[in-house]
Formats: sequence, structure tokens, C-alpha cells
Amino acid sequence: MNNRELSTLNGFQHSAAILQWLMLAVAVCFTPALAAQGSADGRMDPGNYFRERADIRKYAVILTGPSVGEETTSRFRQWSFSLHDILIRDYGYSSDSITLLMDRGSDSYPDNSRVDGACDRQTIVTQLEALAGQVKDGDQLTLFLIGHGTGSDEESKFNIVGPDITGEEFAALLDNFDQQDLVIVNTTSASYGFSTSLSSEGRVVISATRSPAEKFDPIFSGYFIEALAQRNGDLDKNNRVSMLEAFNYARQSVDAWYEEQGRLASEHASLDDNGDALFTLDPNATEADGRLAEIAYIDVLTADDANLSPEALALKAQVQELEREVFLLRGRKADFLADDYWAQMEQLLIDLARTTGQYHEYLEN
Amino acid sequence: MNTLRTRLGTLARTTTLALLLPLGNAALAQDPPIDTGESPLFRGEQLYQSGSFVAAIDVFKTADGLDRNEAIVGASRSYAMLGRYEEAIAICEELIDGGDYADFPLVSTQLAEMKREVGRSAEAVAILAALVDSDPQGAPVRALVQYGTLLQFVGQKARAAGYLEGAIQRYNDGLVFASEDVAMVALASWKLDRFHEANSLFNEAIRANPNNLEAQVLWGDLFLEKYNAADAEQSYRDALEINNRYIPALVGVARAVGDQRSLQRAMALNPNSVMALQTYATGMMRSNRKDEARSALEQALEINPESLPVLSTLAADAKLMEREDEYQELLERVESFSPGNPEFLSNIADAFGNAYRFREAVEFARAAIDSDPTFWPAYTLLGTNLVRLGEEDEGKANLEIGFENDPFNVMASNMLKVFDTLATYETRETEHFKVHLSENDADILWPYMRPLLEEAWDTLTVKYGFVPEGPVLIEVFENSEDFAVRSVGLPDIGPLVGICFGKVITLISPDTLSANWQEIAWHEFMHVITLQMTKNRMPRWLSEGISVWEESQGRPYWGRRQGLDLVRAVEDNKLLPVANLNAGFTGAQSSADLGFAYFQSYLVVDYITDEYGFDKLVELVKQYAEIKEEDAMFRDVFAQDLDDFNDGFVDWIVGRVEEINVYVDDEDQPDEGEGHGHGIRENSSAILAELYNNMSLEQHMRARIEEQPRDFQAHLQLGIVLFKEEKFDEAKLHLQHAHDILPSYTGYPSPPLVLSQIYEREGNREAQLEQLRILLQNQQHDYSSAMILAEAAIENGDVEQTDYYLNRALQIDPYRMDVHQLKARYADLIDDTSLAVTEYEVLAKLDITDPVEAQTNLAEAYLNNGQQDQARRNILNALEIAPSYRRAQQILLQAVDATN
Repeated sequence: MNNRELSTLNGFQHSAAILQWLMLAVAVCFTPALAAQGSADGRMDPGNYFRERADIRKYAVILTGPSVGEETTSRFRQWSFSLHDILIRDYGYSSDSITLLMDRGSDSYPDNSRVDGACDRQTIVTQLEALAGQVKDGDQLTLFLIGHGTGSDEESKFNIVGPDITGEEFAALLDNFDQQDLVIVNTTSASYGFSTSLSSEGRVVISATRSPAEKFDPIFSGYFIEALAQRNGDLDKNNRVSMLEAFNYARQSVDAWYEEQGRLASEHASLDDNGDALFTLDPNATEADGRLAEIAYIDVLTADDANLSPEALALKAQVQELEREVFLLRGRKADFLADDYWAQMEQLLIDLARTTGQYHEYLEN
Repeated sequence: MNTLRTRLGTLARTTTLALLLPLGNAALAQDPPIDTGESPLFRGEQLYQSGSFVAAIDVFKTADGLDRNEAIVGASRSYAMLGRYEEAIAICEELIDGGDYADFPLVSTQLAEMKREVGRSAEAVAILAALVDSDPQGAPVRALVQYGTLLQFVGQKARAAGYLEGAIQRYNDGLVFASEDVAMVALASWKLDRFHEANSLFNEAIRANPNNLEAQVLWGDLFLEKYNAADAEQSYRDALEINNRYIPALVGVARAVGDQRSLQRAMALNPNSVMALQTYATGMMRSNRKDEARSALEQALEINPESLPVLSTLAADAKLMEREDEYQELLERVESFSPGNPEFLSNIADAFGNAYRFREAVEFARAAIDSDPTFWPAYTLLGTNLVRLGEEDEGKANLEIGFENDPFNVMASNMLKVFDTLATYETRETEHFKVHLSENDADILWPYMRPLLEEAWDTLTVKYGFVPEGPVLIEVFENSEDFAVRSVGLPDIGPLVGICFGKVITLISPDTLSANWQEIAWHEFMHVITLQMTKNRMPRWLSEGISVWEESQGRPYWGRRQGLDLVRAVEDNKLLPVANLNAGFTGAQSSADLGFAYFQSYLVVDYITDEYGFDKLVELVKQYAEIKEEDAMFRDVFAQDLDDFNDGFVDWIVGRVEEINVYVDDEDQPDEGEGHGHGIRENSSAILAELYNNMSLEQHMRARIEEQPRDFQAHLQLGIVLFKEEKFDEAKLHLQHAHDILPSYTGYPSPPLVLSQIYEREGNREAQLEQLRILLQNQQHDYSSAMILAEAAIENGDVEQTDYYLNRALQIDPYRMDVHQLKARYADLIDDTSLAVTEYEVLAKLDITDPVEAQTNLAEAYLNNGQQDQARRNILNALEIAPSYRRAQQILLQAVDATN
């Protein structure tokens, strides 16, 4: 006997049911993340982090582990130097504000002035301690991890020269930066377990993978750097690339690459910025993860012009702070009645437009 | 409500339903052990099963002893299959020989069934009463069920229920095993509106005996009643796989899917099949071949004077043609043997609905409900026809009643699902129209549809001197299945893209079409005029003919240019007589057939206006408001009967073919397209030439041209081959020659199109554009060419041509960004701030890749148009996404300054 249905209109019902099921699954998935915060709305307040002020300084640390094979070594080297150069060229960093620890350091790259030392435990510890003594409250530090990773969960390691370093050990080193805003971009293979150890309130942690099972070398790093280069990842036309924008740009590029290759993706980048160590694949400002990453910019105030006067810098900082407030308000849109939201938003946007106008007028004069 | 519909809305042939049966008999019903010997009964059954009915009769007659009664039943059924009903009766009566019916339960039941088959229901009742009432517990299940259905037929519904319940109870008591009896219990359940159980029991009967032809057909009938044609057809075909001469299954296939070959086969095998004759007559009625229909119906009535389908078909025709006396006579006749039969009235309602006479359909459906408030199909019929009158709320309420009590009715279920879709739609109104359309279409299509509708109203109402009842309701469906269901109740409607019911029009959204949606809307609105002018009495051919003709009057480049098809049809002698033009629609076997039916109908209208003038056309339309023979109408208007009119038409066609003067080669395929003439029609022969340019094709085409210099296709194909070989000069000669032969050709590819491509390759921009202009003089469905010409015009600052070609592109596809971007540029160029707002509003909906830019452009357009508040609100949307976007910031500050 056959078992036929006549109307394909039933298809809509099926689709709706699947969608409902998926929504339920997503809700269940994120419930622990919200509960972990314990605040009134289940979220930490991102307003305390990544402030935009003229006196804030930003630092970057690039840790590039060793590799075997010329092709991989060359790729890591190219990523590291590109990142270094982009930070200086487009983001206002100087050689002094970037620390590049790479492979065996000057032994491997004797003629390259960009390399500050070897990527071994001793140098890492030394350099981070030195940096900790240099930074002030509210400063910002971005760490990029490039290379191989191994293991899972608390055993996850970042492969460096000499004994590898675990996530727990690396997290302990970052304890010295509890008064600074941290962004950690871990692009290694098997990065997930290591990254979960680094999760903490006020930090943006980006992992090239979402599970310990993803052990192949990711291509995420290349696209993340591409997002930063020439501000390719800038979607909201503010001529800046937030960590959320860079993440989304790289994630979508990775997906497209695998699709174009006709291969099943062996990496799925994820992000955590609410300190719950539960990483989100598709973060945005209205979800559990994404609100902090949206206001986390790694460019320094003098990125476009190193010769800005203190007055200009102050105006620019004011512009960036207003923009940050817009993002924060936008992230809390669901907390407001529509009229109240738009009234507040309009006022902020008018202030931002006028301040931006003043800044440009100042520059033109 | 929705959940219920999802779970029960489709009566599907499923084995799992058996598990849900509330009936008591858990044992699997099985046939008695099959006789493995060579008894006449066994051999007769085998012959019957294989369709050798004559041989079966001979063998059955030789049976004796215990097999005798069953064999007589077999012989009687075999006679019935051959249409030899009197012999079917006689053989039973001979056996009973004046004895007590109760002593011959199987034969008596068969006798009663045969008496009913020939319209002697009173005698049948008497036989079954004697059989059943003497021993209700001992009577066969079949006798109980046949008695029950017969009592229902003669209007004794309450008594009938008792016998039908009795059969079901016997099954529940575990006393029914044989497949044939289980099928009878299924029939009892069906007749008591327990459709779920009926479905399960038919399934069980067939599992018990897959060769149970009767069960297969009854199951098919159940599906068909529920408008589930696909499963019905499957049941009939399953029966035919076992016995391809089984008349009820052959007729069933014809009823389910209009398979004329099956019907012809059934009528050849059994010329006296009442159901076959009635099915045939219905088809003839739809093709307006009423004499043949009436003849078949009269023949059927001679066989069975009590055939309800036949009597209701005749009564419907009488009522449709306002032959009141005849209708009353038929009504009284039915009342005499089946008083208060709601099915009779419901059938008439259905006939009126099919004839687009929705008001009368509603009246008859209401009468059916008054006659029997539990006759649920009438509610669905009432609801469906109310919806077609635009009475949506009442229509929906009745569909809900129909569905709640008959959840397997596919039509009710489907129609209600479309209401769910419509609940998400938006409503837009103009002075004369009320339009339901999706949010997407409301934003993108409506700005261009609104002026077109009012233009159509203004133009056509004045032209025909008739103001239709309004507002006209238009429903634009994004999903073609929703469109089909809303239009006919079922999800497959074939190649149609728009339907008019008189005051209601349903359309497929242009978003799912690649055709000129404006022409389609214009065409459908023309139907509103002709249908309402004639109180929906207009025959389809004339209504379509006028609508297609008015396409060509609406815009110079609209309408159909099928010169090649016309020449081919005349050469193949495929033109239908005017009197039979409706058959071109009802009997169309393909999209091409249907397309040509539209085209020929248009030609008749063109002939009338060309030969007799437009006023005569209007006069003819008005004739259809009266109840008259078509012949008389033509005599009154044209002073000649239909045959003479047809002769004149044929002469005119011959003249037109001579005027076209093109040679058509048999080896070329006719152009093909979807939407029965709306949309691009592909020239598959020329496409093949594009794909396979080889020397042999070139030589062949040269030879054809040598033989027939006016061989359009040969010139075109040779031109394409030469183009591919980059012999541009010679290619141009042949393509130009093809164009000169048939300048109005609109197939794809066409000579001007290929010529434009050659000039493009040669870098001759002006010549390329000139060919595209020539192309668009006749071709209305080419978006790309219109856009190229619009861009060229705006580059030259020619605002008039820019506007013209942009509108041409919008008629094909208003959902593409480039046409709106260009039109926005055009608006800026002519400083039309209001137009700019329209275009940027549409772009804001279409541009999902850069919403910030789209919203900013829109806000700026609002600002320029003096709409400061909208500008302010809109720019906030852009800045919310991109707060630092400098241009948007400046627009915000301007808007704030302007409003403060």
C-alpha cells in the first residue's frame, strides 16, 4: 500500500516545526550562559569596559609558535609579520607597543627587527611581566596566538619552543592584567580548550575552533588578519573594525572557503565575551556573546593621524566614546519601550553627528 | 484549528490508520479459503477477475450444488459489466423463481443491486426489506449495507442509519472476515460520515484481498469525493492493473483526471454504463457540445431513470439555460423517488460554480444545506463560491463548518490554509480595487500596480460602456500553490497565471513569473467587464478572446504575435469551428494546445472588430446576458448563423495567412512557452542552432532557403550559425531577411536579438541599440534589452526614452535593484522628488546587501521631497546600524534643523 499525501502545503507546517525545534534548542543551549552571570538581566555590564579616552594606551602581543615544514612555517611567519605591519600602518601602534615573540626569536630571524624574542615560556613570562609593569588602569592589551595547539580541555596547550604552555598556565600569566581590557585571539589548531581557560568577565576571547575535536590547522587566522587589513571588516562604515566585525568577517570567509572547496568545514570559529566560557558561533550584540566585542576596538586614537593635537585627540576620543554609547544602547534595545529607545538613540546620534562635525571642522581648520 | 488540519486535513492511503481504529475487531479480515480445484465457480471468478466477462458468464452458469448461488451472483455481475442489466436481473430472478428472498440472501442482494442500477429503487427496497427484516441477524453484511445506502437514497435517512450501524456492529463483534464484507463495512462507515474508519477499512479489505476490485474502486470514490484526485486515481489504477477492463475503474480514472482514453475504453466495453455516459456528457457540456451531451444523458436515463448524477446534470443545464419548466419537472422526478436529496441540489450548485455563476451556486448550496444540514460537502461548496464572490468572511465560516465535520475534504482544508496565508498579507485599496498582497509585493509591486489598475478601469469601463460592481477584489499570491488553491481549491492548476471570477481576480505574484505582469492584470480586469456584463454567462472562449484582444489594445507591444503558429495550424487543419471553441480550452492536452485556444479565440475577436467593427463585438457580448441559443445570438448580431459566421472567419484567416506569407517547414518545432501565451516563447529549433553550429546544419538551411525563399526559420537558423562562425556580414543578410519575412516574430531568439548581438560584437553600439528598439516593438518580455536601452537613453540625457524603457523593464521584473537604481537616477535627473522617494522606498526593501546606504538614500529623498519627519525617522535606522556614517549624520542634522 502506498502512503501518499496530497497537499504540499503541509510542507510549511513541517518547516515551522523544525524552526521551532531549533529555536528551542538554541534557547536551551544558551540558558546556562545567561544564568552564569547572575545579574538582573543575566548579563554583565559592558559599559565598564573598552572605554574610549585620549589617555588610554593600547598594546599588542603576538605569540607565534614554532612549526615543522617550510610551508606552515612560512604561513605563520607571513601572518605574523602582516599583522605586525597592519597594526602599525592602520591601527596607530608603534614597534614599542607591539611585542612579537616568534619561533626561536632572533635565532630564527636574525635580521628581522620586528621580532622581539623567542616564543618560549621564559620569554613569554618575562615579556608579559614587563608589560604588566608598564600598563595603566584602563589600558588595552590584545594577544594574538598563532601556531599549533594540542590536547583538550584543561590539558590544552599552545605549542611553543620548549615545554608547551597550557591554558591554565597562560591564564595565570594574564592575571596581572586585571585592570586592563583584554582581547585574546587564539588562532591555533585545537584552540578551543585553551581558549576556555582564558575566559573571564571583561575579556573578549576569540577561538578559531569550537571544540577540542577540531585539530587541523585553521585558516581562520588569515581571514582575521584580512579583516583588519585596510579595515576590510568595517561593516558599519565608521572606518574602524571592532572585534565583532573582524570575527564575523573571518568566520563568514572561512565558511565560504569551505563551501567553495566543496569540503566539510573542519573549523568553526567561536567567541566568548561575557566570561562564561561558553563560546558562541554566531555572536551579536543582542545575544549572550557579542556586546563587548562590538565595542572592543584595537585601534589607537592616532591611528589615522599621528600628529593630532591634544584638542583633536580629545574630540576624537569624544566621538569614539559617543559611538560606543550608541553601540551599548543598541545592544540593550530589547530593554526599552520603542519610543524611549528611539528618543535616547536620536539624541545620542545627534550628539555624535555634531561632535563628529566639530572634529572634522577642527581638522580642516 | 491549524493543528487539526495538519493532522487530519488529508485523507491519505495509509496502513498506519488501521491502528487507530476504534472498532472492536482486531483480527485481520481474511477471505475464505480459496478453492484450489477447477470448479466452475473458481474458474468463473478467475475469468471475471481478468476481465473476460462473456467467458465468465458461460462458466458461472455451469456451476451447481453448493456453488450455484455464488456462481449466479458472479454471472449477474458479469452481465452488469457488459451493460446487460436485464440479463443480470433475469438470471437472479430465475434462480429465486418466485421463492422467498430470504432463502437466497446472496442472490437476492445482487438482484436488489441490479434493480437499483436500472432505476427500480422501489423494487430493490422491497427485496432487501424482505431479506433483511425477516432475519436482521442472519442477513449478509452486504445486504445490510446495500439496504442502508438504498434507504438513504430514497430519503429514509434515520432508518438507513440503523442498518448501516448494524453492519458496523457486526464487524465490531468480530463477525466480519471476508474482504468483500469488510469493504461493505467501510462503505457503511463512509455513508455515516465516519471517513477515518472508512479509510482504514478499505485499506484492511484490500490487504485481506489485493484483488478486491470493488474495494479499490470504492476507496477511489471516497478519495474523489474528498477532492483527493491523486489518491483516487491511484486506487483506480491499482484496480486496472489487476483487470484493465474493469469498467468502474476506467470511469473512475476519467472522472479523477479527465483521462479520455479510459472513458472511451469504458464506453466501448460497456455502452450502457450510466456513470460512463454521465461522465462523457459532463465533458461535452463543458465543451459546449450540448447535443452530444444531451444524447448521452438521455441514453443513460433510459438505462437508469433514477440516476441522480444524470438527473442533476440535466437539471443543472436546464436551470443554467433558464428552462424553468424542465427544471421543475426534473426536480419533481427526483423528489418522487429520493425526496429532499441534498446531493441533487449540491450537484447543481457545483455546476453553477463551474459555469462561473457563483450567485446561483451559492443559492443552490444553501438549498442543499436547508434540505439536510448534515450534508457537509454543501458547506464547502457554499464557502468556495462565496469566496469567489468576494464574500470572504462568510465563505471562510462555511468552509470551517465543512472542514470541522469533514476533515478529509481536501478542498476545504486547502482553502482554509490559504486563509492562513492571507492573514499575513496586506491590503491596499484604490477607488475601484481592493488588493490583498504580501508585504513584499505591497512594498515593491504596489507602487506600479496601483496606477495600472485605475488606468485599466478608466480605459475599459468607458470603452465598453459598462461599470462593473466593485470594489474588485484582487489577490496576488507569492506561492503558486496558494494561487491554485484559492482559484480552484486544489494545488495544481496547470499553466494559468491569473483567474477572474467576475468580481474577484487571483494572480500569481510577478516575483515568481518571467512575463509581463501588467498585461496579465489588464487581461484579467477585462474579464471582470465581460463576465459582469453577461452575469457570468459569457462562454470562456469569447471572454478569453476579448481579454487577449484588449491586451493588444492596451499597449502597442502587448498582445500575442503567433503568425507562425497560425500558419502551421491552418496547414495542419487544426482551427476549431467557432461553435466548438470552448473545446479548445476544456480538451487541451498540453500547454501549447491551451495557448493556441487563447490565440484562436483572440483571432475571432480580431475578425469581428476588423470585419464588423467594435460596436458589434459589444453587441455580441450583451447577447450573452440573455438566455439564448448561441446560433440565435450570432444571427441577431451578424445577420447570419454560426456556420456562416465561421465560414467568414475561415476566409478571413486564409487571407491573413496569405498576408503573412511565410513558409513553415514540418521539421521545425512550434515555439514553446509557459503561461499559455503570457511570457517568452522559446524557438527550440533556433536554440539548437545556437548550440550546435555545424557545417551540415548550414548546408541544410541553405538548401531549405534555395527551395523556399520565404522559409523564416531557415534564414534565422542560418543567420545564427553564420554568427557563430563569425561570418557577420552574411549572417546579417539572412537575419535581416528573416525579419523582413516576419517582422512581428517574438520567439526567442529572434532576428533582431541576434542582429543586436552581432552589432555588439562589431562594436557598433548605435546599430546594436537600433536592433534592440526593433526587438522591443514586438517583444514585451525582454527585461535586459529594455535596461540596455534605458541606460543608453539616460547617458544621452533623453528623459522621455529613459522613462519609457524603464517602465518597459518594470513591467517584466519590478523586483530587481538595477531598474530602481536607474529610475532613481532618472528621478534625480528630472528633479522629481516624489518619484525619487518611490524608487528609494523600493530600493530600501530590495537592498539587503547595503541597508545603510539604502536607508540613507531614502532619507535624503524624503528630505528633498519635504518629508522631514520621514527623513528623520529613516535616517535613524541607517545610523543605528552605522552611527559614524558621515553622510547619514549630515542628513540627520539637516532633518533636525528642518523640523525644529
